[in-house]
Amino acid sequence: MKPEIQMFNIIAGFFLVVGVIYGVVTDWTEWVGVIALILCAGLGAMIGFYLWMVARKLPLRPEDDLDGEIEQQAGYYGAFTPYSWWPLWLGIASALIFLGTAVAWWIIAFGALFGVFAVVGWVYESFHGEHAR
Amino acid sequence: MPSDPVMGPVTRPNMVSVGTIVWLSSELMFFAGLFAIFFTLRAMRPDLWAERVPMLDVPYAAINTLILVISSVWCQLGVMKAEALQPSRTGSLLQVGKWGMREWYVLTYIFGAVFVSGQVAEYAKLVSEGITMSADAWSSVFYLTTGLHGIHVTAGLIAFLLIIGRTFTTRHYSHAQATGAVVTSYYWHFVDVVWIALFASIYLLGA
Repeated sequence: MKPEIQMFNIIAGFFLVVGVIYGVVTDWTEWVGVIALILCAGLGAMIGFYLWMVARKLPLRPEDDLDGEIEQQAGYYGAFTPYSWWPLWLGIASALIFLGTAVAWWIIAFGALFGVFAVVGWVYESFHGEHAR
Repeated sequence: MPSDPVMGPVTRPNMVSVGTIVWLSSELMFFAGLFAIFFTLRAMRPDLWAERVPMLDVPYAAINTLILVISSVWCQLGVMKAEALQPSRTGSLLQVGKWGMREWYVLTYIFGAVFVSGQVAEYAKLVSEGITMSADAWSSVFYLTTGLHGIHVTAGLIAFLLIIGRTFTTRHYSHAQATGAVVTSYYWHFVDVVWIALFASIYLLGA
């Protein structure tokens, strides 16, 4: 996973350097840019560090091997739902909550209740009924 | 955590875990916006900061911070049990060594709930002293940063409840279950680290 790790580390290094340059140029009086740029470095470093941690524990993937074959990538990728309506319900709940902040507070109560229904439904989607694992 | 090697010829990073980290890195940028607001106002109104910061109860907030940090430790112990695919305790409740992921996550939940309650009590005290959200620039940024962080902690508590509840749904504790527990811990640790930065900026840095 070297290319991925390097890519995110380059993002981290670049924004760290730019953040410091920005600070020096603005004489450390303008904080929005300094913080945004340095935390952009954090954004890259976080993912880079995580991938590095994971890569240490894993063998080389087929895509890391120059002689790798497509067929070697077959196998288990993760647990996926074939389709799901829950994101739509959660989206409607979020929309109601935002509508409440804009129009009238009482709408939030309905949005929140509907949100509980949507979140519980989504989280437990694959954990009940005949396809439960 | 790596995906289950017995389920395919290739081992690769768990997609849910990588996705969670990428999402958390965007959360970092959300908090970057809050930190930018905080430090800009602090640079603009040093007089206000000199007046307000001494009103904060630093030892109280430090103890609250410690509670949140300790909750991260309990969470990590729960993760180790989840990775060992052990959802519940194998001994009595007093045999802490035999606890499963569920017991550790309940303990994490209790510590997290104490943290949020402590913050609510702190808000109540500040409001009683007349420092409301709309009082001045300092109070606005104080409630905005700590409040949005508090909402994150509360969301984490809800996530813990859902993850603990999930362990009761299946007889066999699956890798999908363990993945959910692990990524919730990533979120919890992230929110914990953000709080340490907020605590240092708001309480320790001074005026």
